[in-house]
Amino acid sequence: MSQNTASTTPDDRAETPSDTMVKVRDLKTYYDSGSLLEDRPVKAVDGVSFDIRRGETLGLVGESGCGKTTLGRTLIQLEEATDGEVLFDGTDITSLRGDQLYEWRQNAQMVFQDPDSSLNDRMTIGEIIREPLDVHDWKTPADRRKRVKSLLDEVGLSPEHYYRYPHQFSGGQRQRIGIARTLALNPEFIVLDEPVSALDVSVQAEIINLLEELQDEFDLTYLFIAHDLSVVRHICDRVAVMYLGNIMEIGPTEELFTDPANPYTHALLSAIPKPDPTASRDRITLHGTPPNPRYPPTGCPFSTRCPVRIRPDKHEDLDDEVWEGINGFREIIRERMRADRSIRERVRERFGLETRFATIDETYDELFGDTAVPDEVERVLTDVAEAAGNHEEQAALDRLNAEFGSVCDGVAPEGGADPVEPEYYEVSDSGRLSYCHRHDAEHRETETVLDDRS
Amino acid sequence: MSTRQSDSTDGFEEPDDDKLFRDRVRENPRPAAVWLAGLALLLLLEIGRVFAGVGQAFGIVGFTVELFASIPASVGDNVAGTLGGAAGFVATALTAVLIAFAITVPVSGSVPDAAVDILGLDLSRRGRRWAKRAELTFVLVAVAGLIAYTPVGGAFSALIGAITGGVDALASALPSITSRDLIANTGHRLPDGGWEGTFLGLSPAAAWAIRTGLVFAYATAFLVWLWRGFNVYRTHYRLADWTPRDDTVRRFRHNYWGLFGFVIVFLFVVLALWAPAVSPVEAQHNIYEPNAHEFQYLDENGEVTSTTHVFANLQSRSDGQNTIGPMSYDGYGRWAPLGTTNRGQDMMTHLSYGARTSLVIGVTAIGLGALIAVVLSLLSSYYKGITDIATVMASDTIQAVPALLLIMLVSVVFQEANHPIAQPLDGGLLLALIFAFAYWPGMWRAIRGPSLQVSEQEWVDAAKSYGQTPLQTMRKHMAPYIAGYILIYGSLLIGGVIISTAALTFLGLGINPPTPEWGRLINGGQSYISTSSWHVATIPGIAIVLVVIAFNALGDAIRDAIDPEADVDESEAATAGGGA
Repeated sequence: MSQNTASTTPDDRAETPSDTMVKVRDLKTYYDSGSLLEDRPVKAVDGVSFDIRRGETLGLVGESGCGKTTLGRTLIQLEEATDGEVLFDGTDITSLRGDQLYEWRQNAQMVFQDPDSSLNDRMTIGEIIREPLDVHDWKTPADRRKRVKSLLDEVGLSPEHYYRYPHQFSGGQRQRIGIARTLALNPEFIVLDEPVSALDVSVQAEIINLLEELQDEFDLTYLFIAHDLSVVRHICDRVAVMYLGNIMEIGPTEELFTDPANPYTHALLSAIPKPDPTASRDRITLHGTPPNPRYPPTGCPFSTRCPVRIRPDKHEDLDDEVWEGINGFREIIRERMRADRSIRERVRERFGLETRFATIDETYDELFGDTAVPDEVERVLTDVAEAAGNHEEQAALDRLNAEFGSVCDGVAPEGGADPVEPEYYEVSDSGRLSYCHRHDAEHRETETVLDDRS
Repeated sequence: MSTRQSDSTDGFEEPDDDKLFRDRVRENPRPAAVWLAGLALLLLLEIGRVFAGVGQAFGIVGFTVELFASIPASVGDNVAGTLGGAAGFVATALTAVLIAFAITVPVSGSVPDAAVDILGLDLSRRGRRWAKRAELTFVLVAVAGLIAYTPVGGAFSALIGAITGGVDALASALPSITSRDLIANTGHRLPDGGWEGTFLGLSPAAAWAIRTGLVFAYATAFLVWLWRGFNVYRTHYRLADWTPRDDTVRRFRHNYWGLFGFVIVFLFVVLALWAPAVSPVEAQHNIYEPNAHEFQYLDENGEVTSTTHVFANLQSRSDGQNTIGPMSYDGYGRWAPLGTTNRGQDMMTHLSYGARTSLVIGVTAIGLGALIAVVLSLLSSYYKGITDIATVMASDTIQAVPALLLIMLVSVVFQEANHPIAQPLDGGLLLALIFAFAYWPGMWRAIRGPSLQVSEQEWVDAAKSYGQTPLQTMRKHMAPYIAGYILIYGSLLIGGVIISTAALTFLGLGINPPTPEWGRLINGGQSYISTSSWHVATIPGIAIVLVVIAFNALGDAIRDAIDPEADVDESEAATAGGGA
């Protein structure tokens, strides 16, 4: 079982191993909304830190929309980082401009997800693979041709495919062509953005094997982005689990798969179908959808859906259904706070007409209608509902947090004003990190709580 | 082909494949030589006209250069008028440098690096690009300054004059197979029957028919030569056994509606290009300066007398009372294959020179408009954001004014001011520029969607990831995908431009006489449509309808031919068959 003695962040591990190739520190990539009035960017990557060691394959998993592709694109400077740094062999590549960036680009390349879209149909295979060489003025044109043909051979195609066009090839072959193009400039680091998710299962294995062979042959370092966990388990040395722009847990693959520390990892892994019908633990069902990355929750990003969210001591024994209702209630109030009401709706409301917002009472009934709510809890909830009904959403939320909030929602135990965020806890000897309050000594571990609550 | 295939099984060290096109031609020169000999023969047959064409191209280039060269001075004059002489000089110099710089941007890429290295600066890639542009700009401005302000200018214009003069002299001295010197169809009847002055003493009708037949035969031979060239390249010199272009050509060849369009467009273009040959009388004599040119005819007294075209035209009008219909001679022994106009001019001459006018306007307007549309759509879809918004606003502003109204407005403003660009083709060039200005927003709108779509493709990201420059990315990875769309919209719109030109001229606003224009013919003949002179409005009307339909059919066929998904099954079969 993990030891939660030393609380640490990646920054504290100053003595990073000498073979670290990419060092990401507090990287943020925000997308501007493009709206003139409201300045709330989409926080696709919201402060991640990790290292990629030379020669390893780091897996990056998470559900769609969690920001893993954006992270990969930021690492090779296809997106501009909003904040933080990406140190590539000691150089901060987020600050590179113009020629320096152009020179650096040879070192890091990307294999794209969709083989249909990543190859220009109007060019021959030869032209496609040659283009990076042309751009970087590599040797003579005759040498480039030779190199392209040897690359074709390298990825398992034949040199006479040079003059063919992409649409004459199958998805797997197209992906091989994409890989050949990626290898053309002899990069050290390759971002693989779901390289096999668009392919047939039989072809997936071939491409995975090819990637592994190439890694051995050319000493490549991979960042393998995927949502297929079994593929990740097969190919990756270490895995980072991402949720809502944050890395929830990062560590050696086998360890992470057999003994997950973070509640989100638990949930994610429980979604893998088990061949054993008598397997003991049930699947953890997460309620709701991931929050809007434009409005991430305060505190822990996973707090809104976490099955083992820390509850205040006095309500620890409340029924799970009531807790579900409370969580849902909080989300709805947050949603109402964000929704801007038009003037027409304000007027309609004023005269007691129907608006597109259901009244808070209806919501309340729906959530708590058929559950037995203890009296003292009900009193608080009624207060909250009343405040929300008067469009004092902030007050309602404050009241809700004061009663039911915990450190997970950013409520500091000592009552500080600033929302607290979880820290990275080292959860094993191999340096595995997990982003969760549960690892703090004063709380019970995830595993036990899961067993308790299920 | 078979030799290469056997080689290709040896692995990727095949020497054959690494040869450049030049080497491949050197190795097997015969087919290329035969093909080039064909070109030489064709050019030799029409050598006089080739030089005439070169002379005309010189004229167009000269006019364009002069137009650009006059901009700095006119800007400077305007500024000098309000701010004083010194400011005017600065404005002139600034404008000149700006224009020179704009010219260098697209060509600076082809300047060798050595040109910058002599500066001895340690430049980055971007720095080198800008240094090249600066160098080119400097050279251009220096040359322009030399020509404009020093005696070198006199020598330069003398040289240009000598060259153009030489070309013109060659054009009139050298023979061509379709010249009216060789096959003359103007002559007069002899009192005792027969003709004097025509080709072999044939009747003008027969001589004209021979000459026109020769023109079309020659043009067809040229087309065949082009097609042969494609085939020779495909069988002897192309490395790939199959490219998508093969399918494009095959699909086009089986599209009969498109072929119909192609044939009509071909006839229209030939009519325009060989207008001097297919017209039975010279336009200069019959239309432009009818009172300066005399000709001989056999009068009713049986004597050969001489008269001017202006007088003869007056007597040969087709105006309801008096009709010189198609396939007839007028009273002066002049052959009129399509009759005469309401002003007595020859319809065939008018129609062929009118085709020239329409073609020049259509091609200039659509070419320029499409260029603007493509450049802006590439820029706005690649950079998005503010570039996109600015383009949207510009195009919306132009489109907010009804197109025909805008065209009339601008055309009247320039014509009233007697602006220099209203001179060529009696307002035709002006009209073309206005059409380009009014029609680019439409074309841009039409290709905006496709270009936004292609800019989202991962191959554009891939190009960015290995450091391809934005300009090259747009050219190689985006432009080919919108080329098809712009071809289609361009060929559809060219019909619209032709018909709008005719409509404006019909209203008396477009192209002024004497430049021949189809719309004016219809206008002139409209009141005689129910009389025996019905042909005056009908023939150009039918011609316009045919040409517009043909351009539309051609556009449709090009779209179908380019679209690789038009016949998936067949192309799959071709794929299986092709390849090494």
